[in-house]
Amino acid sequence: MTQTRFRTWLSEGILEIILILFCVALSFMAPGFLTAENLLNVLRNVSMQGVIAFGMTMVIIAGEIDLSVGSAVAFAGCLTAFLTQALVGAGVGLPLAIALAILMTLGVGFLIGAFTGFMRTRYQVPSFITTLALLTGLSGAAELITNGFPLTPFPSWYNFLGGGYLLAVPFPALIFLLTFGALQFLMNYTAFGRSVYAVGGNAEAARLSGINVKRVKTLVLGTTSFLAAISGIMVSSEIMSGTATTAKGWELDVIAAVIIGGTSLMGGVGRIWGTMIGVVFLGVIMNGMTLLNVSEYWQHVVRGALILVAVLLNLLQKGKEQR
Amino acid sequence: MDAPVHRLETVSLRKEYPGTLALNDVSLSFESGNVHALIGKNGAGKSTIVKILAGAVQPTRGTMMLDGEQVQLRSPADALQRGIIAVHQELSLVPELSVAENILLGRLPMRQGWGQFIIDWKAVFEEAGEVLRSLDIELDLRARASTLGVAQQQVVEIAKAMSYHPSVLILDEPTSALAQHETERLFDLVRKLAGQGVILLYITHRLQELQRIADTVTVLRNGSLVGTIDIADATPSTIVQMMFGQDLQKARPAELVAREESFLEVRNLSKRCAFQDVSFAVKRGEILGIAGLLGSGRTELLRAIFGADPPDEGELVLEGVSVRPTSPEQMKRLGVALTPENRKEQGLVLLLSTRVNLCLASLDRIATHGFLTRLRERVIVDRNIRELDIAVANVDAPITYLSGGSQQKVVVGKWLNTQPRLMLLDEPTRGIDLQAKQQMFQLIWEMSKRGISSIVVSSELEELLDLCHRILIMRQGQIVGEVRPQELSLDTLFAVCMGEQEAER
Repeated sequence: MTQTRFRTWLSEGILEIILILFCVALSFMAPGFLTAENLLNVLRNVSMQGVIAFGMTMVIIAGEIDLSVGSAVAFAGCLTAFLTQALVGAGVGLPLAIALAILMTLGVGFLIGAFTGFMRTRYQVPSFITTLALLTGLSGAAELITNGFPLTPFPSWYNFLGGGYLLAVPFPALIFLLTFGALQFLMNYTAFGRSVYAVGGNAEAARLSGINVKRVKTLVLGTTSFLAAISGIMVSSEIMSGTATTAKGWELDVIAAVIIGGTSLMGGVGRIWGTMIGVVFLGVIMNGMTLLNVSEYWQHVVRGALILVAVLLNLLQKGKEQR
Repeated sequence: MDAPVHRLETVSLRKEYPGTLALNDVSLSFESGNVHALIGKNGAGKSTIVKILAGAVQPTRGTMMLDGEQVQLRSPADALQRGIIAVHQELSLVPELSVAENILLGRLPMRQGWGQFIIDWKAVFEEAGEVLRSLDIELDLRARASTLGVAQQQVVEIAKAMSYHPSVLILDEPTSALAQHETERLFDLVRKLAGQGVILLYITHRLQELQRIADTVTVLRNGSLVGTIDIADATPSTIVQMMFGQDLQKARPAELVAREESFLEVRNLSKRCAFQDVSFAVKRGEILGIAGLLGSGRTELLRAIFGADPPDEGELVLEGVSVRPTSPEQMKRLGVALTPENRKEQGLVLLLSTRVNLCLASLDRIATHGFLTRLRERVIVDRNIRELDIAVANVDAPITYLSGGSQQKVVVGKWLNTQPRLMLLDEPTRGIDLQAKQQMFQLIWEMSKRGISSIVVSSELEELLDLCHRILIMRQGQIVGEVRPQELSLDTLFAVCMGEQEAER
């Protein structure tokens, strides 16, 4: 009895266990790993993508996908810089200009995702297609509003959002943890979260249960590109400019973290906590290998392997449950 | 051309499923040259026999003999090898391939001497053409299957089956999707096949076809053989008698009466290609049945009332207030619930747990300010399980593991939690066992006592007679009659549905 319970616990927490073992090994092999400074550094490094990964988890659970988040990050950074510049040019004071620019960028961020949702629910355009178009389109738009050069309207205190510390914790890491808490709560303890699972598990059954499927999909996609905008603002603060070429290829890293965390691309199945593990796992691997002086090329190979192994473990575990 | 006579026999064929006896020692004998109809109501065991003969399921006991030789079928491939082929109701053509490719699917002739990698198109069209010629079928071999009508696709299916030169051909409800004249042509084809020495089994639920196509009629009921008779001896009333037997009609509780005031009025509801100008009223607490065959528009009507597929024209009057249904969300708010025809695809989210499924339609009631707590869910779920007697080991395990009857109860329970005032039940007893069926009846009667009205659609007529206060007859998208169970016998109702005579208004 206790043995079977131990086994269930082992197979359900297999990824967590591997992660812990990995960290233990690293702390012996790489002397700099187990220091508060390094761990906080890892946390900050994963924050920018991690914030989006939680939203992406909802999107994928709802049976959709968002390929545009990388470009959305770059676009949001550039838009913030562009609006700040324009507002200052129009005579608005710098602090107020930045505040307004951030709010407008967040609003636009939400609308971009809502647009994907609208195309999906109104015209049945798969989110894969719309966001693929946005991936290119937003990247181009970012180049357009910056004329291809980094915009640098930001004062030095703006660096706090991406590079600052609050109570000794990096500010982006706080946003990351806050987002985790909010979405963890949303997905597990609210009627809305439940609808997301239902819509992704069986959209027709959800609709026939009187759930507004269109609204759920639109809100979920909107939230994710809203989170991409938050990430973009933090990135622009970190590098102190609106640069169109940042965050290239992030969409794949984000989706990888979600999948490693056990979320099914078929929809209906997944956990926010799993994504947390996925995000941290990828961060720790990168950090550990850098500390161990492993070449960057190897890092990519290892990440690729991790994605495959994680999904495989997940499927094997499910197969066992069914028997 | 006298083809040799072949004979297919089953000896004490028995199939047990957990909790049900699907086939009870059935011994049959079919010879070639004749068309043998196999009939019975839902759950009679027709499809079990078809599945066993086609090798898809293994009998618990009993054997099959082909020309006196015992055959054992472990898989559909085995059956194919022995020349037994079933053509199912659901067509299985590849829509983007041509007629010829579909006929020879998986066996396309290859060019010799090219390492067998290259398709020999000339041979493809010659062979497929030969098959069609032997059946006197005229069809463009190069037409894509998706461009054909249902009837033509059906013909291609049969041609495909015949290209295997089967000794036994099973046609499972081949006419269910066909129009009258198309049916005629199919019958010609079936007759021709019978003349070619093939043993033909013809499964149907359309009694009026029997006289025109069958030579013998074999009737099953509740998994047992009732008998086989020559078509010459089969009058509609004998067949209905054999199909339904002296099944006891368990009367509704006598105290169950509908209230005087009407709850819902349906006014001139129409939907293109589904139903036209449908009007009727449902009283509070009334159980209204809708009888009609598949394709009569009954499911579409329920879905339209629920707003799942909004109607094109007409309106509902709910307690005196005019409503145009536009979405399930809206109708749920007005106290209407629908348990759909297909619970696995439309009623449940199979990936999710019993608990989640039970709460799915009433999330906004269970959650306070949008927040769900496990505790509140638990209270409701426990009450559902107790009241509906749902057999479930772990409410947090995926609902896939539950039996059909329990799943159906979850679908009903899910809606009871919304405190509905009108339940639309589409085939509520399909695929569930006898006990669960009885419980479902009890449940609907109890709802009626509490003033909840129900509209029940069912293919099983005797079920509606037991269950309902009143039954509307639907045929080809229109309501053609209305009957009250106490005034009508089963065979008359059946005849009305079949279109053999009009019911009195």
